[in-house]
Amino acid sequence: MHDFLQKIVALPWDQSPQWLFLIPGLLMLLAASAAVCLRNLIHSALCLVLSFICLGVLFMALGAEFVGFVQLLVYVGAVAMLILFAILLTPAGEVAASNNPLKNFRLSSALHAAAGAAITFLVLAGLLTAIFFSPRAAHAVLPAQAAAAPVALIGENLLTHTLLPLLGIAVLLTAALVGAALLAKEDTSL
Amino acid sequence: MNFLALLKDTLFQFLGLFKNLDTLPVEFMRLLREFLVKLGALCGIAVPQWALDLVSSLVIIVAILVTFLILFALMSVFERKLLARAQNRYGPNRVGPCGILQPVADGIKMLTKEDLVPRAADKVVHYLAPIVMVAPALMLPVILPYGRDMVAVDLPVGILFFFALSAGAELAVFMAGWASNNKYSILGAMRAIAQMISYELPLVTSALVVALVAGSLSPAALVAAQGGYSFGFLPRWFVCTPWGFAACLLFYIGALSESNRCPFDLPEGESEIIAGHLTEYSGFKYAIFFMAEYVGMFAINGLLVTLFLGGYQAPFPFLEWIPGWCWFFAKLWAVALSMVWVRTTLPRFRIDQMMLFAWKFMLPMSFVALLAAAAWYYAGQGLAGWVLSALIVVVPYLLLGTFCFTRHHSATNRRYLYSE
Amino acid sequence: MMLQILLALSAVLFCIGLLAALTRRNAIMVLIGIELMLGAGNLNFISFWKFSAHPENLTGIMFAIFSIAIAAAEAAVGLAIVIQVHRRLHSVDVNQANELKG
Repeated sequence: MHDFLQKIVALPWDQSPQWLFLIPGLLMLLAASAAVCLRNLIHSALCLVLSFICLGVLFMALGAEFVGFVQLLVYVGAVAMLILFAILLTPAGEVAASNNPLKNFRLSSALHAAAGAAITFLVLAGLLTAIFFSPRAAHAVLPAQAAAAPVALIGENLLTHTLLPLLGIAVLLTAALVGAALLAKEDTSL
Repeated sequence: MNFLALLKDTLFQFLGLFKNLDTLPVEFMRLLREFLVKLGALCGIAVPQWALDLVSSLVIIVAILVTFLILFALMSVFERKLLARAQNRYGPNRVGPCGILQPVADGIKMLTKEDLVPRAADKVVHYLAPIVMVAPALMLPVILPYGRDMVAVDLPVGILFFFALSAGAELAVFMAGWASNNKYSILGAMRAIAQMISYELPLVTSALVVALVAGSLSPAALVAAQGGYSFGFLPRWFVCTPWGFAACLLFYIGALSESNRCPFDLPEGESEIIAGHLTEYSGFKYAIFFMAEYVGMFAINGLLVTLFLGGYQAPFPFLEWIPGWCWFFAKLWAVALSMVWVRTTLPRFRIDQMMLFAWKFMLPMSFVALLAAAAWYYAGQGLAGWVLSALIVVVPYLLLGTFCFTRHHSATNRRYLYSE
Repeated sequence: MMLQILLALSAVLFCIGLLAALTRRNAIMVLIGIELMLGAGNLNFISFWKFSAHPENLTGIMFAIFSIAIAAAEAAVGLAIVIQVHRRLHSVDVNQANELKG
């Protein structure tokens, strides 16, 4: 059965049906948009989880299976849990909800949203221009030997070429662990 | 040749497969593919490769699912009977001979119960939580090597896949707890997630110990590395080495905790928190959670068998006539029954005892096992390696045990009046 | 063509995260936006690795792995800060965390 899956993953990308991996891509964008627009924080966090899962699937489809599984393990298993716990531990106070949306309309928050949207639109326009008008990106071809990332090679790379960043990350994660535990601790001395 | 001749031919070949039971499933799949090709040739169509792959994949998927669901059904009745016998009573013995049809009765009961959803509950998340729980759980058994060349999906990162899917279970517990809009549910869910996350770390590190020595994350390669016999008759399973024994115990305890089984079943103990995150679930949704928990338990037991107990390898050379997949399921069943035995024996942990055990004892011990495995590997895997790694495992174990778990005498000296 | 589609996907994801980080008032939504932006960056790394001339160098993969680890550390610390801010101000509105203003 592994051959069957292997054949799907190893399709030559120039000739393959390109819609095949646009499915997780578009689902990821949809979930991310939902995550950003929903009012209910928990629903937004769950849509974020869906977006992370689709991103992991996209990584696996691109041949970086290890990164895809690490994405699922770390982002869905840890970061999403952290976000959900933080949402639980910081309940918002009672918001003055009125049925008339115009009553809650504040010029400052509308301007704020408009400014944010304008900046985002400018950034998006700039990025898309750079992507679609760049000759190098348009003529990028897959390398002759299909990109493969066996886990043994990744491990070897981690411990030889990127040893210093690995040690740095170890220190960073320990510091983050201790720091987060200390920051979130309740101040019982008062 | 016509259809009847083809059928007769295939049937004879099928009966001939029983000569070698070890390779029966693999040869059966090959025979199925050949039969389909010949059938297609008979009807005048050339069967495309993708259709053959699809059919064989479907057969394998159905086989795995049916196996694990039957294991779940048998386990539910055996567990209750074993618990009952340990408590000096009969278990379920009304339905079928010795109560073996009890799962059928349970299934009918669960299916016909009313499906209650609280009015203030979040309907969508409440509905999705069992699905998010059971989908990863059913995907877990797919990477396990059941026999020689009998892996459904031979992922080079199989172990990582397994633990990445366990994250789905934690998410489902949170969704179930939060969506029920019930304080007991949320508290139970938070405790359950804290427990699962805390014990996931020693679990992954113990699996890492095996990956370190065998040099691969693929379960098939890990089982193949446990082949052969030392001194001609002793098995080379990883559990037979000092670091492997320590890592196996840590993995076993982690497996008990990930499946929320006693002594770690605080999330679902009835006297503690009603049913924790499952309080507001009834009927089929509860049955799905139940099934996901048991299938997850079997999957993680399967991983324990793969990593430490040699997978499909026979323990002694003179027992090799028993097929590999029989050995796998025998070992799986043995580990599952041992978990039931643990359930009958040990009382439940409190949440603070659970956390202390995970973070202060199991995590340092898993790092010690890593060190011991490295020492064994680099000291030549002979007697020197054995002694060194045994020392590295035993000394911290005794030290940690002494310093972590000393009994604190209470500050006040109580006098118990009627305790004689 | 393929690379452009992947980069465009990543650009749109980045801008969705940017919108969240700039527009939403809840501090946790800002953090969600930051996580989306980091995810988009990772997608870029992996796409460029796939189409690079020497994929056996695994540069893109290394970058992505370290980026995921750093994102996890940053999420942990950021959420701990959000929890502590909530304890003091009883709200996670970023507009209300302005004691140092002026």
